[in-house]
Amino acid sequence: MNGTRKNANAAPDLAAPDPKALEAIGRALEAHYADLVQAPLPEKFVELLARLEAGDRASEPQGSGDANG
Amino acid sequence: MPTASFKDGLLGEIKNLRAFAISLSGSVSLADDLVQEALLRAWSNSEKFQPGTSLRAWLFTILRNIYYSNYRKRAREVQDSDGFYARRLTVPGDQESHLDLEDFRRALTRLPAEQREVLTLIGASGLSYEEAAVICEVGIGTIKSRLSRARSKLAELLALDNASGAPAERKVRRAG
Repeated sequence: MNGTRKNANAAPDLAAPDPKALEAIGRALEAHYADLVQAPLPEKFVELLARLEAGDRASEPQGSGDANG
Repeated sequence: MPTASFKDGLLGEIKNLRAFAISLSGSVSLADDLVQEALLRAWSNSEKFQPGTSLRAWLFTILRNIYYSNYRKRAREVQDSDGFYARRLTVPGDQESHLDLEDFRRALTRLPAEQREVLTLIGASGLSYEEAAVICEVGIGTIKSRLSRARSKLAELLALDNASGAPAERKVRRAG
């Protein structure tokens, strides 16, 4: 693997709408996502993992298929 | 049997996984089904996860595969009645470039899923171009062009395509 990952959030030089529009979209996207991430998590997911860990699977996962390594 | 730390890893990612699922499917209830299925699948395939790689990216890949193979059609039917959380939030910005979150979300649902997911992965979930390319099973060039098209389309839908970057005037100053 290459060790260089640039996390530059700098202005992308894509052929794009004007910079102000891009900025507004970027902010809206982050606000949209942050709002979702901050939403309370339904209990059922935590419970599901607890059940899985306890070993009694509520539903049988279909283990066949398309896994590529 | 997955380890306790694998389980903790999953717990730590659920909120992000769910945010991705909602963004992708456009529906909270569909997203919850997707998350549930993805968690089950992740659990039963835990040995395929390579420690040291991004658990988030791995989970997103699983969820995305489930979405495209089973849920995409359902999403169309459900979307109208059961969309995003309704939120009257204004996205912060300088005074002339603020956007209403609900308007933004409506615009987002009108993008093709392939564009919406790239936008979400790169612009919001903090994944790299490389990770997004692996998740979407395309090259980095495709990721970049989808991203660019997504942004242009959003600008168009939100009427942002004017010089100021602000929503179209008609909306702001109707009362005159």
